[in-house]
Amino acid sequence: MITAPGHITKTTTPRAVIPFYIYAGLCFLVATILLLFSSDAFQKHYFHPNILAITHLMAIGWGTMIIFGASHQLVPVIVEGKLFSEKLAYVTFGLAAVGIPLLVYGFFKFDMGIPAKWGGRLVVISILCYLINLGKTITKGKSKNVHAVFVFTGTVWLFLTAFFGLALVYNFTYPLMPHDSVHYLPLHVHAGVVGWFLLLVMGVGSRLIPMFLVSKYTNARLLWMIYGSINTTLISYVFIFYFVETKAWVILPGILLLLSIALFVMFCYKAYRFRIRKQIDVPMKVSLLSVLMMTMPIMLMFVIIFSVIVAAREKTSFIVAYGFMIFFGWITAIILGMTFKTLPFIVWNKVYHHQTFIGKAPNPKDLVHPLFLQLMTLCYITGFILFTTGILLTLSLLLQSGALLLLLTAISYNLNVFKIVTHRSAL
Amino acid sequence: MSAISPHTKIAAILKEKPEALEVIIGISPHFNKLRNPLLRKLMASRASIQMASKLGGCRVEDFFEKLRPLGFEIDTLSTPKEREKETSRPSFMHDLHLLQVTELDVRPMVEGGHDPFKIITEKIKQLSLGRVLKLTNSFEPVPLIELLAKQGFESYVEHIDENCAVTYFNKAFEAPTQNEKVNHTDELTWGNTLHRFDGKLKYTDVRNMEMPLPMFTILEELTDLPDGQALFVYHKRIPVFLMPELQQRGFKYFIKEISESEVHLLIFHST
Repeated sequence: MITAPGHITKTTTPRAVIPFYIYAGLCFLVATILLLFSSDAFQKHYFHPNILAITHLMAIGWGTMIIFGASHQLVPVIVEGKLFSEKLAYVTFGLAAVGIPLLVYGFFKFDMGIPAKWGGRLVVISILCYLINLGKTITKGKSKNVHAVFVFTGTVWLFLTAFFGLALVYNFTYPLMPHDSVHYLPLHVHAGVVGWFLLLVMGVGSRLIPMFLVSKYTNARLLWMIYGSINTTLISYVFIFYFVETKAWVILPGILLLLSIALFVMFCYKAYRFRIRKQIDVPMKVSLLSVLMMTMPIMLMFVIIFSVIVAAREKTSFIVAYGFMIFFGWITAIILGMTFKTLPFIVWNKVYHHQTFIGKAPNPKDLVHPLFLQLMTLCYITGFILFTTGILLTLSLLLQSGALLLLLTAISYNLNVFKIVTHRSAL
Repeated sequence: MSAISPHTKIAAILKEKPEALEVIIGISPHFNKLRNPLLRKLMASRASIQMASKLGGCRVEDFFEKLRPLGFEIDTLSTPKEREKETSRPSFMHDLHLLQVTELDVRPMVEGGHDPFKIITEKIKQLSLGRVLKLTNSFEPVPLIELLAKQGFESYVEHIDENCAVTYFNKAFEAPTQNEKVNHTDELTWGNTLHRFDGKLKYTDVRNMEMPLPMFTILEELTDLPDGQALFVYHKRIPVFLMPELQQRGFKYFIKEISESEVHLLIFHST
């Protein structure tokens, strides 16, 4: 790209970014508190009010909000432009910030009336605002690349997921669809997890992982292949869901998904091998761990599909574990890692920017409290393993101790975020 | 003998030729104050020829004429730039009766042999938007006016008589005063560091590169940077993600933000 003299590639104001991080951290905290008091629910069916509330808190409040915040900063950098509208970013935040608690409250109380409906409506409008902002930012940017296409397509899937989700909420009170909402749940979940989270994580990760490893490796062709196979996965899944009687055919999109993830793992491995930086810091280790954690729910997914084919019934605890591995495993791991690779830099820019001279300013990575970071990582890994085992073996003790450790994870995460965002100039 | 320009500090002249003191005093009776060692220390180090000529009610050329016989060369390249004369009263002076005015008379302090600079800056720091400091002293504090102008203060001077000047300072806009102070000394460090690597600089321009190429280019350039040399980088933004990498590799860096889209970096081995 060409930068004309005096052209401004302005960074997004931290005001349009930091609130999302804080909000997301608090949602994670609330979700882990709910988890601690819902260990019973995790031994029952997945369509349980507490599980629905926790899942939405994790998916929208935690995962989506942090992605919204980070991408307001990242996407302009990726497309070599500036954020289309900061006002729209505030509106996105405001609508979601009000909508999420309403929606979660609705699920928790299983009240599909006013709270869930208004919550859902606000979230859908919030996503629409984000989608417009993103689309305009990308079209006005100077570099159109595969990463931006991943992010945009992911957001389209997110919008479809949320819109469909709102329809499912309505389906409780009006007979909108031929079946009950539980029937459509897999469609809603996979559009969100594969369409939104997976596309987004891969699109952004394929840019950030090589950068943080200081690796020159890049392979746009491979990334386009992954892009194609993930979208084919989803479209074929929707097709099978609606038009094919024999559900065993879902194994096909399953294999395609496995292939996409294998290709992405290969991409990350190559970036890792060709890296210049030899030492890997803790946030980066957690982020790379999350790439491997992607494969866990996939394996479990095949177990579920086979059990459906062989025994003609689904094992509920497997499905609960599957969801838990996605939201508390893969997505949480990547956020725990990436927060401390992005937030300190955003805050640093806010605090030390506009000082014409920077020599004595602390290093951005020193804004992170190393002890909280260690504690968080340790609690997270053990908590995750204990809770997952607890689900599979239906053991209350494991579930409760796992939940407690995850709560500690959330507390140390929030303390660290608080320490970073309240950083004052050391000069 | 070094060349002098309107920007040369009086102190520099006196250091080079102490006998210039009498010559300067001869230019204007206002400069009699320079006989007082304390005032001389205060004023001479802060005032340039240009400021002093305004203070003494004379022209920059008067200085040049009187100093030339002492052996000073005149730097004709830097044209004398007359400081904009604010003859009209700034708008805040019309509303003075509406504003809260803090009064400070530093004359007793100066006579007692103390530097009033510290107390003035303290009073200034406490000054919030829309408040005025009325400073009374024995001369027009030109260096102070210029320093505070950079921090967003408007000023207006009333000459009461030969030995009394009243200056009003009004905080016109909020400027990060603390940072300004840092910048002031940092400008010096930046200049000094640049000077240190004079002739030993390697240049690279990464402004037109797409992320993450700037980082790789800089790190590559640094791999074969000899000790005692520095890399000067033209960048379009502060490279936050590069900073931990530099620290890890044992490099020191100075960053100078020229504008929203231009940043200069100076990177060198920390030993």
